[in-house]
Amino acid sequence: MTSRYIPVIGLEIHVQLSTATKIFCPCSTDYIGAEPNTNVCPVCLGLPGSLPVLNKKAVELGVRAGLALSCTIRNHTVFHRKNYFYPDLPKAYQISQYDLPLAEGGEIYIPGDDGRPRRIRITRLHLEEDAGKLVHSAADGRLEGAAFSFVDYNRGGVPLAEIVSEPDITSPGEAREYVARIRQTVRYLGVSDGDMERGSLRVDANVSVKKTDAATGEVLCWGERTEIKNMNSLRAVERALEYEIRRQTAVLAEGGTLERETRHWNDGEGVTTSMRSKEAANDYRYFPDPDIPPIVVTEELLESTRNSLPELPWAKERRFGEEYGLPEADAAFMAESLPVALYFEECVKSGASPLRAANWIRTEVFRVMNEKGFSMDSFPVKPSALAELVSMVDGGKLSTTVAREVFAHLAGGRSLKDALAAAGASPGGLSAEDVEKMVEKVLTVNGDVVEEIRSGRDPKGKKIKFLAGLVMRDARGQADAAAVSGILERRLKEGR
Amino acid sequence: MELFALSAAEMVRGIKEKDFSASEVFASCLSRIEALEPELSALLALTAGRGREEAARVDGMIARGGEPGPLAGVPVVLKDNMCLRGVPATCASRILEGWIPPYDAKAAELLAGAGAVFAGKANMDEFAMGSSTEFSAFHPTSNPWDTGRVPGGSSGGSAAAVAAGYVPLALGSDTGGSIRQPASYCGLYGLKPTYGLVSRWGLVAFASSLDQIGPFARTVEDLALLLSVIAAPDARDGTCSRRERPDYTAPLAASSLRGKRIAVVKELDAMRSSVDSEVRRVLENTLNLCRDEGAEIVEVSLPVSLEFGLPCYYILAPAEASSNLARFDGVRYGLSRREDSLLDLYFSTRGAGFGAEVKRRILTGTYVLSSGYYDAYYLTAQKVRSLMKAEFRKAFGRCDLIALPTAPTPAFKKSELVDDPVRMYLADVFTLPVNLAELPALSLNGGFTGGEKPLPVGVQFIAPQWGEPELLNAAAVLERRLGKAPIAPLGAAAEGGNSR
Repeated sequence: MTSRYIPVIGLEIHVQLSTATKIFCPCSTDYIGAEPNTNVCPVCLGLPGSLPVLNKKAVELGVRAGLALSCTIRNHTVFHRKNYFYPDLPKAYQISQYDLPLAEGGEIYIPGDDGRPRRIRITRLHLEEDAGKLVHSAADGRLEGAAFSFVDYNRGGVPLAEIVSEPDITSPGEAREYVARIRQTVRYLGVSDGDMERGSLRVDANVSVKKTDAATGEVLCWGERTEIKNMNSLRAVERALEYEIRRQTAVLAEGGTLERETRHWNDGEGVTTSMRSKEAANDYRYFPDPDIPPIVVTEELLESTRNSLPELPWAKERRFGEEYGLPEADAAFMAESLPVALYFEECVKSGASPLRAANWIRTEVFRVMNEKGFSMDSFPVKPSALAELVSMVDGGKLSTTVAREVFAHLAGGRSLKDALAAAGASPGGLSAEDVEKMVEKVLTVNGDVVEEIRSGRDPKGKKIKFLAGLVMRDARGQADAAAVSGILERRLKEGR
Repeated sequence: MELFALSAAEMVRGIKEKDFSASEVFASCLSRIEALEPELSALLALTAGRGREEAARVDGMIARGGEPGPLAGVPVVLKDNMCLRGVPATCASRILEGWIPPYDAKAAELLAGAGAVFAGKANMDEFAMGSSTEFSAFHPTSNPWDTGRVPGGSSGGSAAAVAAGYVPLALGSDTGGSIRQPASYCGLYGLKPTYGLVSRWGLVAFASSLDQIGPFARTVEDLALLLSVIAAPDARDGTCSRRERPDYTAPLAASSLRGKRIAVVKELDAMRSSVDSEVRRVLENTLNLCRDEGAEIVEVSLPVSLEFGLPCYYILAPAEASSNLARFDGVRYGLSRREDSLLDLYFSTRGAGFGAEVKRRILTGTYVLSSGYYDAYYLTAQKVRSLMKAEFRKAFGRCDLIALPTAPTPAFKKSELVDDPVRMYLADVFTLPVNLAELPALSLNGGFTGGEKPLPVGVQFIAPQWGEPELLNAAAVLERRLGKAPIAPLGAAAEGGNSR
């Protein structure tokens, strides 16, 4: 009997909600680059006598995310205290949610490894406050070997939504897709900027492997699970899980046993290392926070949130395929982020052919954005201008080469008219009559070539292409290549 | 009569009519405090300089024809678990020694806005855990009626300060009886408001779902005056009600008990043996007065509250306290012991900073919240609490007010119960059901014990939620029969012979 080891992965994603103020006090949530301990007040410092007051905006954003993930929203939800001592937690308890989370029982679809959609169930989404940040004095910034540590409470009390998946994920690739999908969703919804590197989206993974009978699929043994932390990019999620699954499989294959523990992903060395054993399980002594009355999520809030949800990425993707006939990859690309989707649809509305517009956005628009460091929102080429340019190419009024040149001028901030002029192309393009005249001129000047063609000495059509090239050069690309060669062929036959 | 002995209302009238100045009132109170404090030790901080400035500001305002507010120039004392910007708040604990709050409690803010003058911070049981003020980490406080006895607790300093004539008004906090029991022991009016009537912003939490700030006074008018000032909505306390508050001084003029049903509690009979006979006599006498004034005396039953209230309270209050007091870890403020590891910093700081009673409650609370015990203790106690609320609701279907002793005994002797926590806890058996049910209750001085050194004995009236006007109305009627609460016969006042 041969056996197979199959990974079982569940992810916990902490998403910082994009409220202006913290979840329980009026302090700013904008802590990036702020002087340490400046965005603080008696509440988020946990000073004696201070009291938390719930920021309703955080609840609204939580409801928004919960609905988008097809969760059931509780109409009656409660905040609990999670009690533990640590210097970054000024009250020695974190206000979180326990058995009555805001949202439960959702789902999201991701592209599976086989390309088919995979359903990942969402266990719950709950709200909580972020902790402060410890800065250790050791050279590598880690606790080990540090003589002392600083603590910065600017981040303390920033609202988080914790999104917990069921262990439905079966490969590192799927885990990556899942995180990407969640990130895309929260960005679409405007509930978070989802920036993994800056820590506004943090992923912890619970991973184990199960040994199965390769023939029957019967589970022979369940391995102990570990929790992986410190994965700060999509790539890191994938690599860390690949490593950890290899490690666990190797241990089990050699007859060893795994320990339930928390492991730290070291991105530089590409390994996970043990942080702490979960043997002595923390008892957080959860109980309902008496300072915060139970939250009632009204039917009105649910209704208005539901109505204000944007078209979600997967729906947009499907529609782009059905409505515009975009191939799957193009549809996915156009729906990847809300600004790109909006830009694309603006182009189409302004008259561009969807396929051509998608193609231009994927290539030219993104190339210039990457080169010049633009975001979609700040991109200088208005969708209407791109649409017009694309239409000119489609209508044979502009060659692709010249259109690219025009686009570069547009991206440099010129108007379409100026850009066309700068590229030496007249906005109206050339009339058929103009092209006719140009052909006439080329034929006259190159009588010898014309003679050779007419006498059959151009079996591969190279010479006719040479003549076409001359016409196109004269037309500064404003002539349609197919039209030019059509006219050329007709004239060459006529003169015989 | 010396200025300190006036009621707050009399002080305000005199100051506004320029019969005397706020500064003169403050000076009179200050000399009273200085004369008696060595004997009583009611305060943890005297804010003489600040008080003088505030009094002068009130005088200046009046001179310019301004309106300094309903407590213009009245000296007040705050229990030391309330924050006053720039004045140490210790909660009578070593662990907070040296901590100076950078902000004002809402109640303090309201007092300042009403023209009150801060005279000092009052002693208390450490973190409001206790019934005698003997658990203060700094010093015990003496009962002004008999300095060999305790003033009650945990707001013992506030009660002693008002009873001794330091100030006409003080604020205490009541989690299980901490205003009413010392009011009873010191012969004062003390009110525990409905949960959510007074903001807890700036009150260092003991048990958040039970804590309420409330007033001490020697007259019903003063009590209502102070309550009117502090009972205000506050967006910074999520548990503070947004409902409109009435003017609590309004019903006092038209007070009567005609048509009122005042209930005695059936179960009290079975508890006779644990209630002092003098306490029973004073309660009966007070009920007779109520009957005289036209009230109908009825009977209600509160079996759950009187049998299970105490164990229920001693699960829920320590549970919340264990979490509320976890922040005192030596990392940010207050006491901090230098140690080599984080864990040692916690152990050493908390070991040295908390007193035995606080540790006992932290341990109890941690235990009842632990996984495996949570359901049996915390959850069961929450269910009992719900039953108590329902029981009171039912009782109030049959009456307007419930009368009970405030405490089973008059003030006990110092050191008598310090080593007997269970007997100490029993001092709150009649008061803590009120906190669990989130109701308002008032303690008034119903009379005195006999003997050479008469001790005041309180009677407690309990009303339905938001029933403060009803309580003040009853107290005003009884005040006409019983007289105002006297200043304890100490020092100069003793010569006047204040006993009745």
